[in-house]
Amino acid sequence: MVNVTVDPLTRIEGHQRISTEVDANGFITDAQSSSLIFRGFERILQKQDPRDAAFLTQRICGVCPISHGMTATNALDDLYGVADQVPKDALVMRNIFQGLNMIASHATHIYVLFGPDLANPAYKKVLTTLGDTGSAVWNEMVGRFAPISYKMDGAPVPVGSSYLAAIPEKKRLQEAIALIAGRMPGPSSLYPGGYTYPATVADITKLSTYYLQVMDFVSKHTLRVDFNTWIENTYKASSPQKAVSFVTEHLQGLVDKATTSNDFSKEAGWGDVEFYAAFGSELVGETLLGLPASLKHDTIGGYKDPSKICFVSYGGYYKPKDGYDPKSPAGDRIFTSGVVSGKLEYQKFDPEKITESTAHSFYNNSTKDLAPAKGETIPYTDPNKIAFTGGSDSQYSWDKAPRYDGIPGEVGPLARMLNIKEPLVTGLAQVFAEKGYSPANVYTRMLARMQEVTILAYELLNWVTVDYTPGGKISVPIDLNAAKNNQGMGLWEAPRGALGHWVSAGSDGKVTNYQCVVPGTWLMSPRDSNGIPGPLEQSLIGSKINTVGDVDYTNPFGIFHMGRSYDPCISCAVHTIDLTGKNAPNTLRIV
Amino acid sequence: MSTGIKNLVRTLDSVDFLKMDRRTFMKALGAMGAATFLGTYKSDIVSALDFAETKLVWLHGSECTGCSESVLNAGNPDLVQALQKLNVNLVFHETICAQQGIWNDGKLVNNAELNSEVLLEDTYKQGGYILVVEGSIPNGPDGSGRYLVIGNKTFKESLAEAAKNAVAIVAVGACAAYGGITSADSEVAKDTDYRGVAFAKEDPTKGMLKELGIDKPVINIPGCPAHPDWVLLTLGAVILGKIKIPNDLDTLLDNYGRPKVFYPPDHTVHDNCPRRGYYDRGELDEEVGGPGCLWKLGCKAPYAHADCGIRRWNGSVSMCTQAGGPCIACVEPNFPDGSRPLYVEAEDKGVLLGANIDTVSKVAVGAAAVAAGVHAVRRMGKGE
Repeated sequence: MVNVTVDPLTRIEGHQRISTEVDANGFITDAQSSSLIFRGFERILQKQDPRDAAFLTQRICGVCPISHGMTATNALDDLYGVADQVPKDALVMRNIFQGLNMIASHATHIYVLFGPDLANPAYKKVLTTLGDTGSAVWNEMVGRFAPISYKMDGAPVPVGSSYLAAIPEKKRLQEAIALIAGRMPGPSSLYPGGYTYPATVADITKLSTYYLQVMDFVSKHTLRVDFNTWIENTYKASSPQKAVSFVTEHLQGLVDKATTSNDFSKEAGWGDVEFYAAFGSELVGETLLGLPASLKHDTIGGYKDPSKICFVSYGGYYKPKDGYDPKSPAGDRIFTSGVVSGKLEYQKFDPEKITESTAHSFYNNSTKDLAPAKGETIPYTDPNKIAFTGGSDSQYSWDKAPRYDGIPGEVGPLARMLNIKEPLVTGLAQVFAEKGYSPANVYTRMLARMQEVTILAYELLNWVTVDYTPGGKISVPIDLNAAKNNQGMGLWEAPRGALGHWVSAGSDGKVTNYQCVVPGTWLMSPRDSNGIPGPLEQSLIGSKINTVGDVDYTNPFGIFHMGRSYDPCISCAVHTIDLTGKNAPNTLRIV
Repeated sequence: MSTGIKNLVRTLDSVDFLKMDRRTFMKALGAMGAATFLGTYKSDIVSALDFAETKLVWLHGSECTGCSESVLNAGNPDLVQALQKLNVNLVFHETICAQQGIWNDGKLVNNAELNSEVLLEDTYKQGGYILVVEGSIPNGPDGSGRYLVIGNKTFKESLAEAAKNAVAIVAVGACAAYGGITSADSEVAKDTDYRGVAFAKEDPTKGMLKELGIDKPVINIPGCPAHPDWVLLTLGAVILGKIKIPNDLDTLLDNYGRPKVFYPPDHTVHDNCPRRGYYDRGELDEEVGGPGCLWKLGCKAPYAHADCGIRRWNGSVSMCTQAGGPCIACVEPNFPDGSRPLYVEAEDKGVLLGANIDTVSKVAVGAAAVAAGVHAVRRMGKGE
């Protein structure tokens, strides 16, 4: 047994320590996920003007500040009692603002944070023993995804083509956000009761230009199949089976063409999504498509006991109408709220079922599991108690352990796609479950993220071109007295997953308690008061540290993939155009 | 392309930054965006001078990665191209580097190509790098620094190791410069005891380097986040040898360690605010979503020393006040406490900040407050 620890896990937002015990066959037998930073954010907001939360909670994360700002604003809409009056155009602006951010965030995750691991030297070792096909695949991987300042065997490796091309697009998306929000990161345009900036016709025109530029990148690098064809046959497919068939047939066509040429280039139709969809998975790549090898990302990062995991979504993106119900996000959101069990059964989401345990965290809180609105944040102040090597029974993280009805929850794109019954992701999850794999694994987690980008690009067009009316009402006044002795709950979806803020105000209208339950806490959480490991810990335990090749404790790239597959965070954006026909993002008429 | 644009391009293309004296150089720097500066900086000059590779180590303390995000938004050229132009070797940056810390039974394994902790040890030994710090440093609890541990070390220890052999230290963002959001008043602030690299809020005697007994100059690039131009132009000037450390710092930096060229002591965001005309006419909005001046909605632009109004953000498309949100003076050493409550107008802030604010702007703030009062009276007279 070898202790293999990754600390710091880089290429995430923040710092994380992952400690594992690994057996002689490379399987992880125990794991602890430790967040070793305490900032005291929730306490910073106490006794303050509640409205400051929309600004200050953005500073929790500079990668998705918008999601925190949005969630805080939802909580403030509720606190000031104006949620049912927020004008339609303000809600649509918020949708556009969040949608751009989520696309940028996912793109950054795929290319800057997760992608570089595909250029890990272990893959070179394995693939280059597989003849011309293996070498061709390796050349694509390193040629597309190598990060900056990367060296192998002492020699500098050129920056990957996809990586390099993605950076200006990320910048462009941020610019689009700034256009309607002041700047990015740190936008200034959120306020309870509405939105501070009414986008003009000129802004809409400019957004459309950004959109086309980004879609040009997507069609060259990311998804080589026609965007509309993809949406029609996956997101809009009539059944999960049909969506999966479309994708496997599309991939089979590419594979057939490549059998003699060994040409896996973008020019030959292998966009980054196609490439990963085929080569990322043992089941899809080797079993279904007959490829000689795969990265086997579907064999790691899964859950071994379906009764100890669920997939939670609070719901995101408002329906385009005046006002919304802050307490019941299910019916009022485009991405519905919901809970999917580890066995893929659907349940209704009830915010009352969320609790947090601090049994294995560095807090002197009460020992009972608490609802977020009643949450406490009383940190250890004895330096010697802030230890993290005491094993699974000890206190080893600043993360609290959120649970839904007592069960750890995976949040994020996979959870959202399952909850909205997105055909492709749902179909894939079912296929994996049927074939004895965990429906959630590194591969499905990544594909769900990629699919969510295409869906958002599609939905954004509607918000900008159909739902938003320039010159409409953008806010309603709030009464500061309404906050007195009141509470507010904000439920929303950040790129990384379900995000909730809970605010209470006293008789002076100032904050008495502010608690955030963030996606990172759900995903990276330590054990709870029942000793159940958090989602990342569960996905580590029983997985191998190397998906292919010999066991190598000194290059445990499986741990890198698992840790990063949950997307510890970032951001981005799109357009404002009028369609000439339905679903036609590339043909547009400037309004 | 019109003749005018051609001429402009030719002029910029012929600018030889290296031949400029420091004063002219800094002026040019202030007037320009990073895009212009780096885009027109001739690479043949670099090679003619046999311009050496500069190593850059970018450490993340208690931060949100917002400043890195901001720098990734750098214009045309983007960050990767900028690094190439300036011949910078970005040795380590936690959010984008290939490496991570890898330990077997408590010992570092593998090599610097894959293991970040080995890479950093090697780099610190070699020295000769520019150190950029993003994020603040907890001194607590009880001076132990254990509120932030990365790679089995407190960040306080890591900073000491990294600072020792650095040839220049740049603190990027409000947190690294002054403590920022992590230093905000709260019931746990005493325990966490967050510090900037060289300052704790306005206090230059409580910076983390002082606490560690390290006496090295630090350039502060505050902002929440810092503007990519401020960061890249400052780094560019240091790399090109146009800012000599420590000799030039006394004249280049203000009392809070900020380059005056980007954070002018005699200029505030209010001076070039896109809504300034509304202020001058006394059209002060009291609800969000309108076109008017945001003073009554708590705007702190008259207290914020930065060139946002000229430079704007994200490819110069907008800025906070342009989008209808108040300026939160995120470049000032006491952000966020000095700016809270964010949405309440702040006529008395001049006094709160007064002990530390430059005289010129104190007068400006006074004038602003008076003007706001005057406008209010005028409007009342009109029965509004």
